Amino acid sequence: MADDAGQDKRKQHRARQSGVKADKKKLKAKKDSNQKEPELTARQRNPKAFAINSAQRAERNFRRKEDLTAKKQHIPVVDQTPDVPPPVLIAVCNNDVNSMIDVAKCADLVLLLCDASYGFEMEIFEFLNICQVHGMPKIMGVLTHLDMIKNPKQLRKRKKELKHRFWTEVYDGAKLFYLSGLLHGEYLRNEVKNLGRFISVMKFRPLQWRGAHSYLLVDRIEDVTNTDRVRRDPKCDREVVLYGYVRGVPLKQEHMVHIAGLGDARIDELNVIPDPCPLPGTEKKRSLLEKERLLYAPMSGVGGIVYDKDAVYIELQGSHSHKEQEQTAEAAEQAELVNKLIDKKATIDEQMEQQEFRLFSDAKPIKSKDFRNDQDDEEEDEEPESSENEDDDGEDSGLDAADSEEEQQDEFDADDWRGENSEEEEDAEEEDASSGDEEYQSLGNVKTSNESDSDDEEARVLASNMSWKTNLAQKARDAFLQRHSESKNLMRLVYGVYNQSEHSRQEAQAEDDDSEEELGGLFRVAAKKQSQQQSDKDIKDKDERCFFEYQGDGTRDWLAEDNKELIKNCFVTGKWKASEDAENLLKMDDMSDAESEVYGDFEDLETGEQHSGKPKAGDGGESGEENSKPEDSSAAKRKLTRVEEENLTKAELMAKKLKLKAKFDAEYDNSGEGKGEEDNGRITGDHSFYDDLKAEAQRQSELNKSEFAHLDNEFRIQIEGYRPGLYVRLGFKQLPAEFIENFDASYPVLVGALNMTEENVGYVNCKVKKHRWYKKILKTGDPLIISMGWRRFQTVAIYAKVEDNFRQRYLKYTPNHVTCSMTFWGPITPQNTGFLALQTVRQDQEEMRRLGFRIAATGCVTEVDKSSQIMKKLKLVGHPFKIYKKTAFVKDMFNSSLEVAKFEGAKIKTVSGIRGQIKKAHHTPEGSYRATFEDKILLSDIVFCRTWFRVEVPRFYAPVTSLLLPLDQKSQWQGMKTLGQLKRERAVQNAAQPDSMYTSIVRKEKIFRPLTIPKALQRALPYKDKPKLGPENPKAALERVAVVNSPYEQKVSKMMKMIETNFKDKRQRERMEMKKRIKNYREKKREKMASKERRQKELRKKVSRAISKVRGKQTA
Amino acid sequence: MPPIAQEGNCLIYRGSNFLKQRLILACLSGKPVKISQIRSEDETAPGLREYEISLIRLFDKITNGTKIELNPAGTSVMFSPGLLHGGQIHHDCCVQRGIGYYLDALIALGPFCKSPLQCTLRGVTNSKDSPSVDHIKGAALSLLKRFLLVDEGLELKVVRRGVAPLGGGEITFRCPVRKSLRAIQFQSQGMVKRIRGTVYACKVSPALANRTVEAAKGCMLKFLPDVYIYTDQNKGKMSGNSPGFGICLIAETTDGVCFAADCCSNTREESDDTPSIPENMGKEVALRLLDEIYRGGCVDSSYQWLAALYIALGQKHVSKFLTGALSNYTVHFLQHLRDFFSITFKLENPEAEDEDEAEDVRGAQKVLMACVGIGYTNINKRVT
Repeated sequence: MADDAGQDKRKQHRARQSGVKADKKKLKAKKDSNQKEPELTARQRNPKAFAINSAQRAERNFRRKEDLTAKKQHIPVVDQTPDVPPPVLIAVCNNDVNSMIDVAKCADLVLLLCDASYGFEMEIFEFLNICQVHGMPKIMGVLTHLDMIKNPKQLRKRKKELKHRFWTEVYDGAKLFYLSGLLHGEYLRNEVKNLGRFISVMKFRPLQWRGAHSYLLVDRIEDVTNTDRVRRDPKCDREVVLYGYVRGVPLKQEHMVHIAGLGDARIDELNVIPDPCPLPGTEKKRSLLEKERLLYAPMSGVGGIVYDKDAVYIELQGSHSHKEQEQTAEAAEQAELVNKLIDKKATIDEQMEQQEFRLFSDAKPIKSKDFRNDQDDEEEDEEPESSENEDDDGEDSGLDAADSEEEQQDEFDADDWRGENSEEEEDAEEEDASSGDEEYQSLGNVKTSNESDSDDEEARVLASNMSWKTNLAQKARDAFLQRHSESKNLMRLVYGVYNQSEHSRQEAQAEDDDSEEELGGLFRVAAKKQSQQQSDKDIKDKDERCFFEYQGDGTRDWLAEDNKELIKNCFVTGKWKASEDAENLLKMDDMSDAESEVYGDFEDLETGEQHSGKPKAGDGGESGEENSKPEDSSAAKRKLTRVEEENLTKAELMAKKLKLKAKFDAEYDNSGEGKGEEDNGRITGDHSFYDDLKAEAQRQSELNKSEFAHLDNEFRIQIEGYRPGLYVRLGFKQLPAEFIENFDASYPVLVGALNMTEENVGYVNCKVKKHRWYKKILKTGDPLIISMGWRRFQTVAIYAKVEDNFRQRYLKYTPNHVTCSMTFWGPITPQNTGFLALQTVRQDQEEMRRLGFRIAATGCVTEVDKSSQIMKKLKLVGHPFKIYKKTAFVKDMFNSSLEVAKFEGAKIKTVSGIRGQIKKAHHTPEGSYRATFEDKILLSDIVFCRTWFRVEVPRFYAPVTSLLLPLDQKSQWQGMKTLGQLKRERAVQNAAQPDSMYTSIVRKEKIFRPLTIPKALQRALPYKDKPKLGPENPKAALERVAVVNSPYEQKVSKMMKMIETNFKDKRQRERMEMKKRIKNYREKKREKMASKERRQKELRKKVSRAISKVRGKQTA
Repeated sequence: MPPIAQEGNCLIYRGSNFLKQRLILACLSGKPVKISQIRSEDETAPGLREYEISLIRLFDKITNGTKIELNPAGTSVMFSPGLLHGGQIHHDCCVQRGIGYYLDALIALGPFCKSPLQCTLRGVTNSKDSPSVDHIKGAALSLLKRFLLVDEGLELKVVRRGVAPLGGGEITFRCPVRKSLRAIQFQSQGMVKRIRGTVYACKVSPALANRTVEAAKGCMLKFLPDVYIYTDQNKGKMSGNSPGFGICLIAETTDGVCFAADCCSNTREESDDTPSIPENMGKEVALRLLDEIYRGGCVDSSYQWLAALYIALGQKHVSKFLTGALSNYTVHFLQHLRDFFSITFKLENPEAEDEDEAEDVRGAQKVLMACVGIGYTNINKRVT
């Protein structure tokens, strides 16, 4: 790519160095430089040329620029990369879809190798799709076999083609690396080196899922089950230890983890062990020194040395070394030592820290640093006896306090409004006190300097005066407050003591306790436990109250003057912090102004008054008094402090001011500076909101890194968890034996931590879209393999469509090219988590060829719930059996009157669209009911009731346990089969339902009755609408009327007939004659024509003969 | 009080104390919790009290898919939480405890529901055993607001007041939902700038209220001029079912932190022997408030646990929160947080920024809680 960039760069313009043009330019430049300052930009020299001459265009330009900047902005995320990041994970994986998915979930960088002579394979696209779903890691394409294409032009074309195809899939400008070919079975050295460099400078964007979950890719695995148990029962559950670098976010032991391909598991043991491949020194180098080069081979024991949390194992090679050991044990030991020394990676000090010693085989190993700690502790607690004494004192004082309270109460008895009630309370308080004391006691075992301080104080008070009895309650209260707020005690109070009984593996403080237990003997342990039990019992069944409860009684009398002093400054009327006090700030501003003057002191010439750089103390006091008149009480102190302020050295003041200045700069100046730099007269937009967000994220990131950095490692782990980059050892109990037996290092083992509630199952509702390249549509109720979060599991999904009223309507199949909603029973996963669905994970060549693309659908989670709301449309059908006007009785819709009761008031409708309502159940037949309609319905009508029926989502959830399968079947995991699959396998064919069969439709011809308009209606109609055509009685019209002629009429008609006959005969004869005449005429005419033609022919002959004669003469 | 055992996911506790804490955390973490030996040693009335049953019912109402199993004696309860649902809820709280007891739980869970919480609670609005609704309105809501950033949709309204023993009060509480809470660093409590208060009197003479105001104001004016106390005099329907009066004071600082203290009169039965005297109550509440101010911190001491909960549930970043001395309740809450979320707080004393500031006494020693949030996200909310 770099080469390409080089080629693309156009040749630069080279100005002429000599000649007329160069001379002219030189002259001009000289003139310019004489006139003006040479540094001025064109804009500054000639501002008019850059003036805005079209407001609209300026506006458009501005808008365009803002659009471009807005497009570039991302929501700032807090950078979570740790100080010592884990090694970058680069994906290499086989073709099995299970491995592809697991690798896509954990890889930081993916190198997609592609044979350039062949083009991209389907697996590449599948893998890209998997990546897109699970959060896109960095992807770099690597084209190989470039030497197969001989023609350079074709090669270039091919490269470009592949590059653009790759870009559409990843993003425009994604890196594509070219490896030209093999030499001696290896890629070219330089190219590989370049690739390595690219990888080493790669930057990674934070991904959402991995930014919220910790995970590790296992790079070592040990079976630590008792061998005897395995011998007795080879299939017994195994204890397994997994090793790897923590990635993502800090890992916590208490969280469940999911081992992809195996299932959920609880971490039994979690420790940090030294990094097997630590980073080299911080110094930047082009290449590593020979010493620093480490061979680190995941999943393989290289070098024969194996580190565990508390031991280092050295594999002694074969029988030879063994023999040697036999011969001279000493020599072997020496050799071993030397080997160890050679192979040690940590410094001697670190090793000493880690050094351990076991007294008994099952005892906890004693670490050297522990030993030192104990010593320290002992030094600290030089008075264990005194602590006990003090405990006693505490108890006494507690009792005394109670006594004194009683006394006080007696005094107040006259006007005490609480009476009986107070006594009860007091009892409770006494209990409190005792429990508190016990706590105190238990704490007392763990002596800290703080407590001794407080005790010292108490002792001092005791010594100083004998009036201690009067404010003993207060003392107790103070001690209590202090105990609840002093730091070292605090952690112990909350976590420390309570820990040690249950969580034996709590670190840091707990260790101290344990060691003391051993030292102090059994008595104390028992006492401690008992006291704890007692205190537990005391608070076990108390009423829950969130108030702050003192061990002592009531509140302090804040109106007393000395008490008042304690809280005076909590009010705005008290003294402010120097950094907040307005007066102070003003004063400092003044002083800084004075300093910025060249001369601090000056004389006002008009008045002749002398002014000194520093205001006089008196002046300050005056102004202070003026300001603080209302608060007389605090004025005295204020003055004093102000004097103190004056006494501050200039340097201190400067430091303070700088701090303030920095704060101010952060708020205002920086943005201004930024503007100033690129100020080219353009109007720039206000991006302060975005900048603030970014700054906030940056600040948080720094705080995350710095806050716990100074704590010791174990304490830090307790608070933060095992941060990414640490190499940890995860112990699991009760993993299935097959995991070990069928282990294959070529399949990745991914351990992903689950956050809160993610180990639970529920109904998961998601948006899903069938993949365009998948050739089938998905059927509701078919098992589907889903990869979501860390998991791969099979479940049964129901598809639905979200309608406008947010009802989820059941769908039988996924639609094409649009998203639909899908609900299944599965692990609870945060919203917006992507997932992909497969119909099978089996590696089946034939199936692959048939489908082409294995990913059936992709989508993301929208909601999780404990119930599903998918509805299916249900039409209930009934038939009326009795009809009165608008009321009808309907049967066959329900089976019992109870069912009817449930549907009273429901809307119904007939086929013809007459609407109605269910009224009440009817006794016979059972399940019939009375209904009313808006119009009279017919007996032949069918009545519908449209309802919605809730579809249950099957509760089926089965993790894909591909890691447990034997080696040859690893890619052949088979879960639940679809109904179709089963039927095909077993050649089951359902008998077709006769209802669903297609039959020829026979329809009787409909005979309509004639339209009759009632007479009354006819009469009412206007004339134009009255039926007029046709006789009134059409049947009557058909009968003919017999005509009887009179004799005269008969004569006439006879005469007429005769005349008619004559006429007809005559006409016929005339017609015959006419025909004969025409015939003759035509004959004559034909003859005439024939003779005429004959004559013309003769004539033509004569003429042509004459012409030919003439021509003959002419030619002759 | 550590869990006595853990079976898979399920935490097993003993004793009735901290029932609310445990149920809240169980709901948020999704871990089932089993509590046994509830008052098993109490021969007269073993098992859960009526108010606790009422609380469990409330939890059942705001969740979906919760399973609750009680043994016949009521001494053992198994609670496997469903998902937080929210929405519209009506609940008649048991009059044995104040509404505050129930409202606390709703405030803790409200931001994590599926749909915004809109609930109406009926019962005793002001009582001695739990913070009164005024206290919650002043202290807890201001804290919640800080985490929600905008208070749109956050509302607590006292519709009717009702005091012990018969109650009859009603409140409405609305709470918006959030996808996640921000990590915050809240370390400066500011200085008290104003004091506000409410005195209520139900079915008693209004003079009692005025006398209480006078006494309380008299005390507070010695420290700050800006004191204003409202009186809320109710009668008839609006005053609930029993007579009584009380006062709640709220101190607000320049940084928006609110401290509250409240005090209410004895019930009628108790008053036969020891009637509450308004002047004493006024003084009492003023002293309590001053005590609260002395302890300081960025949250009222009754709601330290709430602040701890919110920062624990924040995103996976460092949060810091300054509080006064930890109350016992908070200490146990922190322990419970560790049981359920396996989160450990770093507790330390804040160091003064400058030496000269260290000299100034600003109330008692403070505690700085720091932790890395667990990155809790509201999995119940629907995204479109």
